[in-house]
Amino acid sequence: MRKEVKMGIFGLCLVIPSFLLLSVIVIIPIILSFFESLRGETGGYDLSRYVYLFTDEGMRANIVFTLQVTIVSCVIVLAVSYALAVYMRFSTGRMVDLIRKTYMIPIFIPGVIATYGLINLLGNHGWLSRWLLLFGGTLPRIIFDQKGIIIANLWFNIPFTTMLLTSALAGIPNAVIESAKDIGASRLRIFFRIIMPLSYKTFLVAVTFVFMGVIGSFTAPFLVGPNAPQMLGVSMEQVFSVFQEREQAAAISFFTFLLCSLLGYFYIRSMVKEETARP
Amino acid sequence: MFRMKKRFTVLSALALSFSILAGCGTANNNSAGSAAAGGSASPAASNSASSSAPVEIQFYFTGSQNVKNLWDQLTPMFEEKNPDVKVKLVYIPSGTGAQPTYDRILAAKQAGKGSGGIDLYEDGLPVVTQGQKDDLWDTLSTSSVPNLVKVDAKTMEDVANLAVPYRSSAVVLAYNSEKVTAPPTTLDEVFDWIKKNPERFAYNDPSTGGSGSSFVTTTLYKDLPEEAIHNDDPAIEKDWAKGFATLKELGPYLYGKGIYPKKNQGTLDLLTSGEVDMIPAWSDMVLEQLDKGQLPATTKMQQITPGFNGGPTYLMVPKLSEKKEAAYKFLDFVLSPEAQAVMVKTMHGFPGIELTNMPQDIQDSFKGVSEGFRNFNVGELSKEINKRWQSDVAAQ
Repeated sequence: MRKEVKMGIFGLCLVIPSFLLLSVIVIIPIILSFFESLRGETGGYDLSRYVYLFTDEGMRANIVFTLQVTIVSCVIVLAVSYALAVYMRFSTGRMVDLIRKTYMIPIFIPGVIATYGLINLLGNHGWLSRWLLLFGGTLPRIIFDQKGIIIANLWFNIPFTTMLLTSALAGIPNAVIESAKDIGASRLRIFFRIIMPLSYKTFLVAVTFVFMGVIGSFTAPFLVGPNAPQMLGVSMEQVFSVFQEREQAAAISFFTFLLCSLLGYFYIRSMVKEETARP
Repeated sequence: MFRMKKRFTVLSALALSFSILAGCGTANNNSAGSAAAGGSASPAASNSASSSAPVEIQFYFTGSQNVKNLWDQLTPMFEEKNPDVKVKLVYIPSGTGAQPTYDRILAAKQAGKGSGGIDLYEDGLPVVTQGQKDDLWDTLSTSSVPNLVKVDAKTMEDVANLAVPYRSSAVVLAYNSEKVTAPPTTLDEVFDWIKKNPERFAYNDPSTGGSGSSFVTTTLYKDLPEEAIHNDDPAIEKDWAKGFATLKELGPYLYGKGIYPKKNQGTLDLLTSGEVDMIPAWSDMVLEQLDKGQLPATTKMQQITPGFNGGPTYLMVPKLSEKKEAAYKFLDFVLSPEAQAVMVKTMHGFPGIELTNMPQDIQDSFKGVSEGFRNFNVGELSKEINKRWQSDVAAQ
């Protein structure tokens, strides 16, 4: 047997266990729920569940609302995290030390507790509104509103994203930056020509993580979100266990999966591009 | 030495696999055996069996935290007196979990697998009647549960002796007496009050808790004939239109111009923080939280006429359970005045047995308290109500 063939078989053997695991816990359930979602009201197979998804006014509002929350959360999380990571990488001093020591705290606080904390802080009669009252201001509605969900998402996602980006930026050698400085590159130029391209891949990983985390979130949207429109996760729970329409719930979950896989496609495409570009 | 070791390994591997196989097998044998022990009429036989291993019954119950606290308190009392029975409590938080348990009992029956390991189940009237149709519940009698004589015969007749009403609770209006001096006494007055006091009233999302659901259902059936509340015919759905129109119209006058908090506790929290002045709530939750100082002492309750829907919570024994005798024993204990007194004290519910069986001080504490609730029995329609509410009222 030629060496390449041997190596190829060996490689397959290494991949098979993880592929089997993946198919049992991910791929087969997705296919099953897809078939479930095709089952119509009367028993036959049709697309009525998906038609309902896009024609029912409430459901359509839920989808738009979910996408809004997800996109706004992604943009803010990434902007804040990237700024924090760059700041921690290229500055020194007490402030940086303080941030470095504290920014991961939210990861260790359970989601439900953090959400109740936010309700107490930002609610109509919460601490913040009481402080504001002293200065004669009033707080806009945050809890039971879209804003509340977005703030909760920031709390949950910024620490981990910052951690990811910090490690990516730490991998950029000082020598590269210094040599660029030596030949007279401006700060902005260094940022856009060196730092951005070198951390771009991790940035993409971070986008994927935040997007999937937010679009499938449940606890915070359930507790601080409005009654309507709802995030898709909350709506799915309601359709599944309150209205008991399993097929409709399957359609929502499959649609959510499609949204996520759209992002996954871009991610994988850029990875493949990079791999083939290598000599 | 090496061979010895190897032999030992093989032996132990064999032993292990046999014990695993045996373990799989005993799942059935065991329950059958214990059923025989529990089911035998002679006390001597059951005693001899129990001295070796007590019969363990699986008790599935649902409700808010106060229900869990009650069972956590009652079970040790029972087990102390009946060392031959152990009660395994399986708590399912209210709102979402109850239906799957029912489905499990039904599925186990259809698959010929007994009662799915569930020996006792607690839920409301809709589930009792649903189970009556599916022939899931065991018929109870005073010979198996002697304390049943203490329960109002009419209530037992309503459920065809399939379930034990062990406690009752009513949905009432809970209000801040500092802000509300003359609480409304009819549903129309409630609507009036809501419109005159914008954003000072809240009811919870009906799919997440009974008090909000009661407010919605009572509104829908306000102008419908009395017998409609015992009717699960889908034809009645068109008669809801007026009620939904009312709810929709009320939306902008409610807390946050149409915010419906999640779960029974959600509205109670708003009352506590002073964000609203009046809510529909379960009387037992209000009394308990007043007792613990979680609600301001100025909180008072008012029942309206005709009453919000409320009613007893029932305990059912699945027909195919293999440990019925043990479950009967537990039921008998739950209906004893002693256990009922604990229930009244910790949960502030109305007792399931007739008041005359209760100690004098408890009888006195209920003096003048009319039960004030109506039993609604609309079966599957409640699911439809939640769905319509979500699309018509929440998403207006």
